[in-house]
Amino acid sequence: MTNAIPLEAVLMVAAALFCIGLFGALARRNMVSVLMGVELMLNAVNINLVAFWRYLEPGFVVGQTFAIFIITVAAAEAAVGLAMIIAIYRTWLTSNVDNVASMKG
Amino acid sequence: MFQITDIPRLLPEILLLVLALLVLGSDIFEKWGRTQEAQLERVRSSASLTAIGLGLIFFIALVQSGYIPFTVVPETAAPNFFINIVRNLQAGGPVGEPITGAFATDHLTMISRLTLIGAALLTSLLCLDYRPTAHPAEFYALILFATLGMCLMAGATELIIAYLAIELTSIPLYILAGYFRNDMRSSEAGMKYFLFGALSSGILLYGMSLTYGFTASALAGNSLGNNLTEFAQIASLARIADNQGILTLGMIFMIAGLGYKLAVVPFHGWSPDVYQGAPTPITAFVSTASKMAGFILLLRLLTTAFPGLTGTAVWGELSGWTSALALLAVLTLIVGNLAALPQTNAKRLLAWSSVAQAGFVLLAFVAWAAPQTFDRDQGTVALLYYLIVYTLTNLGAFGALAAVSMAVGGDEIADLNGLARRNLGLAVLMAICVLSLAGIPPLAGFFAKFYVFMVSWQSGAEWLVVIAVLTTVISLYYYLRLLKAMFMEPPAAETPVTAPPGITAAVVIAAAGLIILGLFPNLILGILSQVQTVAGF
Repeated sequence: MTNAIPLEAVLMVAAALFCIGLFGALARRNMVSVLMGVELMLNAVNINLVAFWRYLEPGFVVGQTFAIFIITVAAAEAAVGLAMIIAIYRTWLTSNVDNVASMKG
Repeated sequence: MFQITDIPRLLPEILLLVLALLVLGSDIFEKWGRTQEAQLERVRSSASLTAIGLGLIFFIALVQSGYIPFTVVPETAAPNFFINIVRNLQAGGPVGEPITGAFATDHLTMISRLTLIGAALLTSLLCLDYRPTAHPAEFYALILFATLGMCLMAGATELIIAYLAIELTSIPLYILAGYFRNDMRSSEAGMKYFLFGALSSGILLYGMSLTYGFTASALAGNSLGNNLTEFAQIASLARIADNQGILTLGMIFMIAGLGYKLAVVPFHGWSPDVYQGAPTPITAFVSTASKMAGFILLLRLLTTAFPGLTGTAVWGELSGWTSALALLAVLTLIVGNLAALPQTNAKRLLAWSSVAQAGFVLLAFVAWAAPQTFDRDQGTVALLYYLIVYTLTNLGAFGALAAVSMAVGGDEIADLNGLARRNLGLAVLMAICVLSLAGIPPLAGFFAKFYVFMVSWQSGAEWLVVIAVLTTVISLYYYLRLLKAMFMEPPAAETPVTAPPGITAAVVIAAAGLIILGLFPNLILGILSQVQTVAGF
């Protein structure tokens, strides 16, 4: 199966996903959308790691382990982030990044 | 392999975890109530438990490191209860290979650990009489979890551990920055910290995945173990493999990702807002301890994993990561110091000054471009000395500011007006910290700056030192504005400003440390110079 699709193709998909995620995180103004962009970036990293593991050293588990840790930590991070967005919405009555700006200079 | 004898080497980290759980659990036995007094009582009990525990852990780590001469037991001493304890502790001292190749307990880890635990101790003192919160135990437990993450960051010699340590540090700090969630500024600070932090984790991880891809491809499926993400393994494979492009790309992504955490320009966008909006003791903690841990990780990563890409920062032949860090340092120094000039809010001014201080720290990294090992070691010593002094200074300055803003109700520069007449002691302590930040001679800040300039100059980056000295002169202007407000301006009211005992204690410790380290730098330089050959390359 690993012969059917070259490693480069998988890496291109991951790189594209990373760029889309980065663009989304930087360009979107809604906090939830920013968070989704970040999740896309993390998924691109996971694809990278798993692809390197599967194509280059399938006998060992480093790449896989790294991906599993990233998935776990990303879940914890998303939980904190969503809670924070709710807290922001309660005090600021908005979830737009541009409107939440009380400090300047 | 992990051995049972490795457990004493991890003792401070294990104790931090135990203390954090203890603080969380002990809150159940407190008297709960909705009144102000009942809340303050719970805050005090959690804070005292945290402070006492951190003091004990600091002491244990100090004995373990063997840096205090009279705690080192001679070989011939007859064994008794205490001597056995000390010997067992020091068996986990700064010796040996990294544990399973992933966590080093060398001198660098020991010194950073002591500084980080010390910073957490001072922070918990600052929080002792701070605003009552609804859930005090969580507040202190989060500080402890973050400290644990920072200690792991300082010792990580492997990409996965490094990532987990960064997240263990960052996630509690996001929550702490936004802890007063009904306060608009605090919640904004937490949100901004979180969004930028999550973005930077993504960038950092992409760099890590590329680096892993490089090591996996270097051996072309013939790897012998699960050690492909260890720093030393990356370095040794970089010497034999020819696929350097992907490795360089991975390193650039990792520098950018860590740069966000360290708030160096151009990755600093979040830091002034976060530092201004977060509760002041947490600002002190974030701007000192988490930065120190990040710099130590950056040092270890760049010097042990990428020694082949060191390059040089000499003008005209810029190359490698030293030149990248030199350019970041220039940007950080110029932007940080110029942006601090027009500030009217004292907390924001100190925030921009913290950004600028990171630029001085980056100067010490440039020393790695020097060809002689001796000069490189001097660079590491200068870096550690600067970070320790900076930690004390910033904790003291933000601590004094916290006391003022608690009493006066604001943290504008105008709120500092006439502080000398309202509380002379506090004004003098704050002046010591501010003068040390500016680098005025008898204080430790001067020697730290001088040392960093010296190692950077010796490595051939004279242009960088000239810019740094010029920006130091600029920085005097805004530091002196704080002093002018405190000593020259008439006070808004004649009522004395009282500082709570916890904050006073922390600021006194910080100021005393600055004077002692400034007059007798040899006290710790001897210890710091043991951090030779972090890498051995």
